[in-house]
Amino acid sequence: MANEEGWFDRYVDSLPERGWFKFLSKNVVLPYWAIKNPAPKLPGGPRETQQNSENVQRMMNLVMPLKDSSSIGRAKAALAIAQNVDEIFAGLDNVGTVHFARFLILGDNLCMISVYDGDFSNYIRDFIITIGSVFDDVMTVVEGGDELIPTAHNVERFIDWVHAHDLFQAPDYPTDVFELLDEARGLSKDTPPHDLKTLPRELILLLHANPDLSLGGGYRAYPGYSAAQVRSKFGVGW
Amino acid sequence: MTKEFNPEDVQGNILRGYRLNRVRHLVLEVTNRSLARQFLAATVSGSTDTVPTITRESSVKWSDPPDLCFNIGVTFAGLLALGVPQEGLKTFPTEFRQGMTKRAAKIGDFGDSDPQNWADPFNQPERVHLIASIYSDSCEQLEQVQVQVAKAFTIVGVRDGRNLPEGKVFFGYRDSISQPRFEHVTNPDRANDNEPINPLGTVLLGYPTHYEGVLFRVPDPDELGRNGAFNAFRVLAQDTVAFEKYLSSAATELENHPYVDRLLAPGAERNIFGGMDRHSALREVVAAQMCGRWRNGMPYEKSPNSTGPIPDTPGFLTNFDYDRGSRCPAGSHTRRANPRNGHIVQRMSNYSRRIVRRGMSYGPDFDPDNPDETRNAERGLLGNFLCANLGAQFEAVMCDWINVGLQNPDITGADDPLLGANEPETSWFDLTLAEGGSIRLRGFPRFVKARGGAYTFLPSLSAIAYLSQLET
Repeated sequence: MANEEGWFDRYVDSLPERGWFKFLSKNVVLPYWAIKNPAPKLPGGPRETQQNSENVQRMMNLVMPLKDSSSIGRAKAALAIAQNVDEIFAGLDNVGTVHFARFLILGDNLCMISVYDGDFSNYIRDFIITIGSVFDDVMTVVEGGDELIPTAHNVERFIDWVHAHDLFQAPDYPTDVFELLDEARGLSKDTPPHDLKTLPRELILLLHANPDLSLGGGYRAYPGYSAAQVRSKFGVGW
Repeated sequence: MTKEFNPEDVQGNILRGYRLNRVRHLVLEVTNRSLARQFLAATVSGSTDTVPTITRESSVKWSDPPDLCFNIGVTFAGLLALGVPQEGLKTFPTEFRQGMTKRAAKIGDFGDSDPQNWADPFNQPERVHLIASIYSDSCEQLEQVQVQVAKAFTIVGVRDGRNLPEGKVFFGYRDSISQPRFEHVTNPDRANDNEPINPLGTVLLGYPTHYEGVLFRVPDPDELGRNGAFNAFRVLAQDTVAFEKYLSSAATELENHPYVDRLLAPGAERNIFGGMDRHSALREVVAAQMCGRWRNGMPYEKSPNSTGPIPDTPGFLTNFDYDRGSRCPAGSHTRRANPRNGHIVQRMSNYSRRIVRRGMSYGPDFDPDNPDETRNAERGLLGNFLCANLGAQFEAVMCDWINVGLQNPDITGADDPLLGANEPETSWFDLTLAEGGSIRLRGFPRFVKARGGAYTFLPSLSAIAYLSQLET
């Protein structure tokens, strides 16, 4: 039978599990690809959408490397947040476009994960204006933070810094990787058309250049209403 | 941080507008750096009759206003072309460095407004280095100055604008009624305005802003950045035919609506522009609610049932505010762009996103009674939107307020009915009714399309001198 697998087909199919092949792929083929056709570091945060949808919510995954990742440094980071809890609550309320924010210490990083409405720059700017002092305290414990203090005098640079430390959000649909990489490489979109078989390679190159990333832009269980729409609906003031 | 304010270091088109009726915007490419620098030096020194002199702000009101004004804006590509060193270039804000075309998605320039579809030369932003603006009542003067400019730069585009009669724009609205006022600028005509006086840092770099303790970055060196302003220059095509057609179809739809009498009480037609039939009056009500002002400038908030007469009281057109019971729709154009002291989601932003608007119309006259006469002609507005921080003001207004409508949960998800990036399939706008409630209109096409533009920096006189003395 023509479609019955021969020994060679079976051998090729087993290659990804063979030690020598894994070694070769990781140490020779991937570095070669990465030099020949590198994927760029891609901008963090949500990409601009062109039309209104029922979802105005956006995700921020801010990963800030700790200046001192020892337990003492971690304790300082924890304290920077803990001593500002009241300001953070008040700030979230006053900014008006935030659903929630949480802080994590993960690996050697202090992370701020939040969901907000609308534009990223407006969100960060409004936060600085409302509770810039909190960010000033956070900046004292993270690498590169000192030169941004006070954040109220470095609004533009702080927004750029946060953008650079906000995780790249991989597209929800893998084939959109082609378009993203075309754009980042300054190429015309899908011209000539990409061969679908090259998708795994592009994905690997993308992960090579962007090892930490968000898988998709966040998934939600209900339509992404704005914080003010939710507040308005429940009569709690917006 | 704040040095004493010297108005004569500031270009004259920033803090107040000229009362001249024509403008010519020359889009310039620096093809000979040396000639360009010599020209810039002469515009500051005023040493020769063969180069126009930059019009400056004045510490006193002009007793004898000039009949010719000349100002320049420089793009990021222009700063690069003039030889500003890298250490200075990198201190300009990201949005300016990227330029308007790269910010297209954020400010709603997609679809027909996509920069790829822009007219020459704006579709080649790398060639747009300066925009020199000549203001005059005389076409000969515009020509004369253009000839002078052409000796130092390659002119890659020319855009002529003019004031339409009665201060109107092609959609028929009286425009430019409410402009931000500034510290240090005395304007007796506006002495009775109630709106807060804006700190200079709203539009000029190097001064306190609306936000307590917040300072926008002054690009380096100080003589280049201080007293400068940023500008979003926009060529905005206005589809007057589609606009008038939409008003008619909306009025027809409304005539049969069960709540129409709460939109316009029976008999109130007589108060609309001296008395109209009901269909025509409903057209005007729709136009007024879309804008926030009747087409003669009367604020809808102050007068929802009548277009006037407009009293001669100083400040009448600008002294009003919004509240939860406002008749002016939250989604109307003027309320989106300037929410005044009304309740908004971004509580700290009521007056902080103010933009100075300076614009003139372009294209042939439009006769709404004979819309087919020049149906295919392009007409619109050559707009300058000035501010100290494009990201915090121009872009912030465009991306969250004009489009999307985040400032009020009742309009979130809808774009500005006049200026927004609307699609007929998804667009909507709620008309307010007397005693509460609303009627939702749908099917708004995009009435205003971007046809070109650039982010420019309006350098101070010191900065123009600095640019002229660069040596690299």
